[in-house]
Amino acid sequence: MSVQDFALATEVAARRRLGATVVLAALVVLLVLISLGIGPVRLSPLRVIEALFGGGSEVAQVIVREIRLPRTILAVAIGGMLGLSGAALQGLLRNPLAAPSLFGAPQAAAFGAVLVISLDLADVRSYALPVAAIIAAFGSVFALLAIAGRNAGLLILILSGLAISSFAGAATALVMNLSSNPFVALEIAFWLLGSLEDRSFQHVAIALPFIIAGAFILLSQASSFRALTLGEEAAQSLGVDVGRLRLLVISGVALGVGGAVAVTGSIGFIGLVAPHLMRPVIGHDPARLLVPSALAGSALLLAADIAVRIIPATSDIKVGVLTSIIGVPFFLYLIKRERRALGGGVA
Amino acid sequence: MCGQYRRNLTAPLPLAGEGEQSRRGRQRYSFLRALTFAALMWLVSTSPSLASGPRIVSMNVCSDQLVLSLADPYQILGLSRFARDAWQSWAADAARHYPVLSGGAEDVLVLKPDVVVVSRFDKRETRDLLQANGLHLVEFTVPRTLDEVKAQIRQMGDVVQHPDRANAEIARLDAAIVRARATVTAHHYRVLPLERRGWVPGEDSLVSSLLTEVGLTNAADELGFRAGGFASLEAIVKLRPDFILVSEAGDRAEDEGRAFLLHPALEHFYPPDKRIVLPERLTVCGGVMLADALDRLTAELKRVTR
Repeated sequence: MSVQDFALATEVAARRRLGATVVLAALVVLLVLISLGIGPVRLSPLRVIEALFGGGSEVAQVIVREIRLPRTILAVAIGGMLGLSGAALQGLLRNPLAAPSLFGAPQAAAFGAVLVISLDLADVRSYALPVAAIIAAFGSVFALLAIAGRNAGLLILILSGLAISSFAGAATALVMNLSSNPFVALEIAFWLLGSLEDRSFQHVAIALPFIIAGAFILLSQASSFRALTLGEEAAQSLGVDVGRLRLLVISGVALGVGGAVAVTGSIGFIGLVAPHLMRPVIGHDPARLLVPSALAGSALLLAADIAVRIIPATSDIKVGVLTSIIGVPFFLYLIKRERRALGGGVA
Repeated sequence: MCGQYRRNLTAPLPLAGEGEQSRRGRQRYSFLRALTFAALMWLVSTSPSLASGPRIVSMNVCSDQLVLSLADPYQILGLSRFARDAWQSWAADAARHYPVLSGGAEDVLVLKPDVVVVSRFDKRETRDLLQANGLHLVEFTVPRTLDEVKAQIRQMGDVVQHPDRANAEIARLDAAIVRARATVTAHHYRVLPLERRGWVPGEDSLVSSLLTEVGLTNAADELGFRAGGFASLEAIVKLRPDFILVSEAGDRAEDEGRAFLLHPALEHFYPPDKRIVLPERLTVCGGVMLADALDRLTAELKRVTR
């Protein structure tokens, strides 16, 4: 390949990346509009747009602006955060199977939030919930990386993640028993499944600041992830403080996932699926993968949340259930594909 | 069991006054007291049907309240786990004087009650086990109308062998119904009873019959919920009933189920002066507390239509 050919190939790749990002962004916008247009009460697209900008009947305005809009904003923000967290963790660990949900972070965050709900420590629409969730999520990811060590193989990470998420699940069940609220078991069972239903701007207000802070931290580390693909020592020689990077990524993931889980319960597997969907298009550069993964995450969660509203069911389907039903087979497929690497980890 | 019985018999007897009374008087009084007690004990031991009604265990929060309002204290051997829960039970304070059961069969078997009052809809295995061990079970269903409630009060009056008290309570309920009907306005407001997570009790619920008694219409029917169902926020906002009926005022959401009722979209159309508040302990069970529920409902209706 001549120098010209190489330059051309690079340019084509860059154009493809840009094209893919633009298409994804357009898809997210389209899904946002559909999400605003769909609900138990049928409103024509024209009336939805009218109501969104403060026109039309009072009822339509309240439905679009107070009920559908916060739900849509949360889907975009949380889906994006999960996709971004997945891409960042995969970049940090140089491992395509890394994702917050496999490491027990959402489960641990859920435990933190459930503790607050069960013991009736604060209003569910107060900052106490995300703060407790973030602390628990931070603890779990920190524990995982401490246990599994720096260059842990796939198997060790996944096994430790499984143990941590089982532990968080058991602790959650235990805390539920201590509650004086007679409805708490049902409430939490529902909540753990993950749902965006009937969320309001109060929920947006408690989740969004943490999600934005987390996303900012993760995006700011893009160049470090790229350096890390060369190996930890090479990255260090390029001036990357790997210890600090780890701490920053853990904090970013904990902030984002904790904030998200506090208002929606745990929604799994988006962080795993989104970066994988993007890799064939974007390539394997973890720095370039961050933004497209976030967009893909938003699109996935929006689509899932639209689907739960369309699928006919006697009672509402939880969006977390849907993402897991799609995500788990995908994860199994990935394991099958990575079998050789996994086998290598054991040996 | 016997100890409890004795305590209950002696407690109401006034003790002799202190200080001023002569020693002789006091002695005579305590002699009389002992005599009365002996006579009563004799009566109890020879003819149980005369002085002692059946000893009762209640295993459901609703039957707890019926038992508490109709039985003599010595008749109550144990109540259900939720008997003291002020949120569910109107008689929570009264329940504090009685033992609370585990909910399982073991402690009931040990107590050997004459009658075990249960709900037809819970703990089937426990009920079967108790029955297999020779205990006499009386099942109560969930009443849906005020007439069914009256029938249950009467039935429980028979179980505890105090039909006179049951009749008095039914009369009290009837008086409340008459009071409520007197306030019925010409305008039949549409009211949507709304519980946590948007659960709407249907037309065949007790709440619905209370609404009908005071001349209100349950808007659940317009949502197609004859037997109850979960209403979405959007559907409620579109339906726009005149008022919503909730079980608690206030602005605190201890969980997401309660947060539903405090969603800004609902608060927009239903601020506190559009919310009829009827505490759950007055409406979850059929019983003598429904007289209070009706009075409360009329008072709330006056408040929101003022």
